[in-house]
Amino acid sequence: MSRIGVFVCHCGENISATVDVAKVADDASRLPGVVHSVDYKYMCSDPGQTLVKDAIKEHNLTGVVVAACSPRMHEPTFRKACATAGLNPYLSEMANVREHCSWVHDKSEQTTQKAFDVVRAMISKVSNNGALEPIKVPVTKRALVVGGGVAGIQAALDIANCGHQVVLVERSPSIGGHMAQLSETFPTLDCSQCILTPRMVEVAQHPNITLYTYSEIESVDGFIGNFKVKIRKKARNLDEELCTGCGLCTTKCPQKKIPSEFEQGLGFRPAIYTPFPQAVPNKPIIDHDNCTYYKSGKCKICEIVCPTKAIRFEQEDTILDIEIGAIVLATGFDIKRSDFFPEYGKGKYKDVIDGLQFERLASASGPTQGMIRRPSDGQIPKKIVFIACAGSRDPAKGIEYCSKICCMYTAKHAMLYKHKVHDGEAHVFYMDIRAGGKMYEEFVRRAIVEDHVNYTRGRVSTIYELDGKLIVKGADTLLGAQAVEIEADMVVLATAGIANEGSEELAQKMHVSYDQHKFFAEAHPKLKPVETNTGGIFLAGACQTTRDIPDSVSMASGAAVKVAALFSSDLLTREPIVARVNRIPGPSHSTCVGCFLCQPVCPYQAIEREEIKDRAGNVIKSLARINEGLCQGCGTCVALCRSKSIDLLGYTDNQMHSEVLSVLEEAFV
Amino acid sequence: MDNLRKKAKELLESKSVDLVIGYENGTNGKARAVFIKDPEKTGKLIYDERCKQNLAVYLNKHEVKHYGRIAIVAPLMVMRSILVLISECQVKQENITVLGIGNDGSFLDFQSMEVVEKYISKIPLGNPEPDQVIIDKLNAMTMEERREFWQNELERCFKCYACRAACPMCYCLRCTVECNQPQWISAPAHPLGNLEWHQLRTMHLTGRCVSCGDCGRACPLNIPIHLLTMQQAEEAFHMFGVRAGTSMKADSALSTYKPDDKENFIL
Repeated sequence: MSRIGVFVCHCGENISATVDVAKVADDASRLPGVVHSVDYKYMCSDPGQTLVKDAIKEHNLTGVVVAACSPRMHEPTFRKACATAGLNPYLSEMANVREHCSWVHDKSEQTTQKAFDVVRAMISKVSNNGALEPIKVPVTKRALVVGGGVAGIQAALDIANCGHQVVLVERSPSIGGHMAQLSETFPTLDCSQCILTPRMVEVAQHPNITLYTYSEIESVDGFIGNFKVKIRKKARNLDEELCTGCGLCTTKCPQKKIPSEFEQGLGFRPAIYTPFPQAVPNKPIIDHDNCTYYKSGKCKICEIVCPTKAIRFEQEDTILDIEIGAIVLATGFDIKRSDFFPEYGKGKYKDVIDGLQFERLASASGPTQGMIRRPSDGQIPKKIVFIACAGSRDPAKGIEYCSKICCMYTAKHAMLYKHKVHDGEAHVFYMDIRAGGKMYEEFVRRAIVEDHVNYTRGRVSTIYELDGKLIVKGADTLLGAQAVEIEADMVVLATAGIANEGSEELAQKMHVSYDQHKFFAEAHPKLKPVETNTGGIFLAGACQTTRDIPDSVSMASGAAVKVAALFSSDLLTREPIVARVNRIPGPSHSTCVGCFLCQPVCPYQAIEREEIKDRAGNVIKSLARINEGLCQGCGTCVALCRSKSIDLLGYTDNQMHSEVLSVLEEAFV
Repeated sequence: MDNLRKKAKELLESKSVDLVIGYENGTNGKARAVFIKDPEKTGKLIYDERCKQNLAVYLNKHEVKHYGRIAIVAPLMVMRSILVLISECQVKQENITVLGIGNDGSFLDFQSMEVVEKYISKIPLGNPEPDQVIIDKLNAMTMEERREFWQNELERCFKCYACRAACPMCYCLRCTVECNQPQWISAPAHPLGNLEWHQLRTMHLTGRCVSCGDCGRACPLNIPIHLLTMQQAEEAFHMFGVRAGTSMKADSALSTYKPDDKENFIL
């Protein structure tokens, strides 16, 4: 007969204000198997836990039910308490009478009754619990960082500086990300490249970092501490050992008018190119779609001029297999382009540009050497309109969220423009100015007060072209929605930040969840912002939501610490909540019939084939076996198995059945 | 018919197979299953419209399995059952020789299981016409009428499990209904328990039923339970575009996930 202790928590007043906790404890004490039942103000506090520990010893308990909050909150606390008192931690259960009861109901007898029902169900379950031992798995102490923007760079450097191996994978030809494209950064107006490029070089030279640019993640298998990752290293068509990065090939390439991705289409590049002069690695790639040789089979000028004979036209993609212990996703973000806005010309007005294009115009290394010039005719615009919240906070466009960075960079853009074109006029249309951050509000004030940027609170309804001018029609909501019309030379849209292209695919490969906007989902919005729901995979930077540089960098360092913590021991301890295929004496060996329909349903590829052989080595039976290291305890196979041959430890059919029956008991009476 | 007998004889004589499963004349003018080991006895084999039993049910029986290589007289539903059994690792592809029977009753000599797959891919699949007519009638009823219909029908069931024994896909060593730790489905025959059992059987066959109708024919009380699994077979096809027994790969509708699967059943 089980000896169960019940501990009902008041949670201050969170539970006791609506549930008669004393009555629950009293009624529970009369249930069969219960030998001890008390209530207490804060069960999770030190004295509360001592109550549990003492009762285990005093009453020789074989099971513990704590009626308190969600198991996500304090299950580990009480399991630890049980373990200290010498009771197997998996013989304790939480009855959630807070989130499932007191928080969602008013004070009434029925609420107390429901709390009691929940407690009774857990008592039934815990009487069927068995002792479980934690599973230990080895850890591969090598991290994978996906994405070589500022977040990925920071995470890679931090992990590498902890003494661990890092593999940094970037899909474009160079690391640097969006930060490398920026001109100056808010709120200090220091040059973006000047602070970033030393970090990029550090990555390239770090002995613990292996850098794969122009590479993508092909597949990810395995689990925390033991991932197996396939990386597709796309052909650069170059012997990277021989190439010195002299750049002769790029100057001699006959294709010169290809819009440059790095310059946001405002500048040009050849078919063999490095995206920007400070690129790391400083080795070119050949763009097959535009290369004359790949299109017509003739040319090969780059091969002829190359002083080290490094060009390899026949080179093919290579697939690298790497064992990884932890993964940091830092794949960044993208922005909506001006063609997303039919009211602003749907991309057909050349002088309506987006924020990243303005960054390139303002950048000293950009297509205009830092002069603000209109893309249409190269004239210096005398009047610019900046439109904040272009797309953001607009449910009609499917983007309800605030992109967070636009208020600040719009202020920066207006300021940079005024610094470069002294007699120019800068107008900003905004919804609200969101300048939360150190020195942020002061920065925006400076734009308004010192640099005389005209801020108008209101939205722009339409833009159209008339005689070489852009007519911007909006409203000033602080003047009773008075119509405002500005004849501008150029318009800059602070377009919404969106999830990066391919983020959904990558999330599916990684088995990481993502939100409706395809940004990766964190495990807990407050307490686990860098973790994902998949063990061993962490998030850094704008792949989780758009964020500015300081936030991205600090998040990357946070993720790096999580990785370092994971790598701090040789063995990982895992919860023994895993599925298990039953075994019975021969000749059946198991009720599993080996249909293996469970194999495709397992999201973690944890189901293997086990062959039972006789003494002569003949296979008598094939049956499913679950790899404890891979199984995450989701229970999908348990639900699928027709013969009920799989059980989830900690949530066995017997446990769940008795729990459900005890809830139904009342209904049948 | 002669071709079928000739081929069976050849296979047994050349020892390419150890056993031939087919139909023979039984008593009272009925056809029944026959198991032939002796090449001289292949003359017993028949095939006509009386041969309705799904012979694939024997393939997974212990008594038959130990023969090793087996040739089996297989009209369409048997072929499809064999493909399901192969996809679920219950029989080995290399152990089965299909003595195919075309829709017109002619003998089809299949060289390999891949040819069988190809043959099936060219045939329009679905429930037998008369059964589909009744299913359509049932589907046209209101939910209350339909529930009443099934309650009346299933009330008579006394859980002999003949339906289970007749079905080639019900091969589990231990059926869920025999699971008593815990007891999910109550053992005695009563209206609620009967409903539970037939719902469970239907769910377990969803995406796996080949619409042979043997469960209904096996029922000693003539309860049309085959309509339940047949309806589910159609449902699975409309939802996921997969029919059971068309391929040797494990792509049963309920055990595979495709990103473009319909999710309209999620409330």
